[in-house]
Amino acid sequence: MAKFSWIERLSVPTYDNEVYATTGRLRIDHDRCNGCGVCAQICPGKAITIKGEGKSKRAYLEDEFPQCMSCNDCAAICERDALTAVVAYDFGLYYKKLNRGGFMPPRSY
Amino acid sequence: MDETATVESPEVSAGTAADWNPVERVILERRSVRKYKDRQVPDNMVRRVLEAGRFSPSAGNAQPWKIIVIRDKAMIDEMERDIVRWCKIFKFFLDWRTSALGRTIPWLLAQTSIRVKRNQLHPIPFGAICLIAEGKLGAFHGAPTLMLLLEDRRGVSRPQVDIGCCGENMVLAAHSMGLGTCWVGFVELLKYGLKWRRRLGVEWPYRICEGICLGYPFGTPDGMIEREAMDVDWYEDGAMRTVVQGGDDGKV
Repeated sequence: MAKFSWIERLSVPTYDNEVYATTGRLRIDHDRCNGCGVCAQICPGKAITIKGEGKSKRAYLEDEFPQCMSCNDCAAICERDALTAVVAYDFGLYYKKLNRGGFMPPRSY
Repeated sequence: MDETATVESPEVSAGTAADWNPVERVILERRSVRKYKDRQVPDNMVRRVLEAGRFSPSAGNAQPWKIIVIRDKAMIDEMERDIVRWCKIFKFFLDWRTSALGRTIPWLLAQTSIRVKRNQLHPIPFGAICLIAEGKLGAFHGAPTLMLLLEDRRGVSRPQVDIGCCGENMVLAAHSMGLGTCWVGFVELLKYGLKWRRRLGVEWPYRICEGICLGYPFGTPDGMIEREAMDVDWYEDGAMRTVVQGGDDGKV
């Protein structure tokens, strides 16, 4: 498990570059996506855009610095199960996230 | 009946996803709703949701909350416009990428204020401020009903935690009835300026703490999703081990 160094504890970056910031990332299955755009409408970070015309419309994650917070609301609303978050956001240094593992569905114990 | 069947343990046993009880199901399936139908929520349903809040736990049973229900479309729109205005002001002074002030001054202001208001200016809300100012993201998402949760500063211990309990009770009750909800922290911006504090009568000991939008969801946003597993430190029998909650290591 990673630990905070003293420099990290004292540093609050301002995020004008992507060096220490990892945004959320989605995996979008373009075979299933039909470009209906509901995910783009409800995305809290407006990280999803719909590109293409007519039947070739598909959802895409923004190319540069998508403000995806890996909340998976898009995965929940998508009726075709076309997309899901695969990388969680981590803003490094002061805001570095610890104690988080991979994405798992709810499970009963 | 099969006599050889083992007697079920009174404890909740390990099971499959089909075994969620109704409360667990609501908790696990509840998603924030960011697109609502125009149809107003009936009075009695709002009252029922509020009743769930009345019976939430609070430190010392202080119930340090006051709830304002707003079902007036014009008023909600006006609040939204003011939130957008405040976001534009903050973006003007803090967003060093686009500000008309140039790059240096907003960058210095952002560097200073992020150290003072670390949580409020975390990159996620900072990005949301910019999106709201640009008109890309709505604050209330077209919800027909808005509940403002005011904090009573005379409460016991940590009134804000009690407000979280109260709000979450209401949110879960609402979802169990097929309504959609979304927490809106941006109502905090209404504390700036006297306008809304006067109009809503927010004065000592009350303070605007959180907002919850309520309405019928557009589409079917509720559903189970994947979340990051979390490490839990588990002390038992004189030893500590790390349990990965949600992970494959099901045995504790």
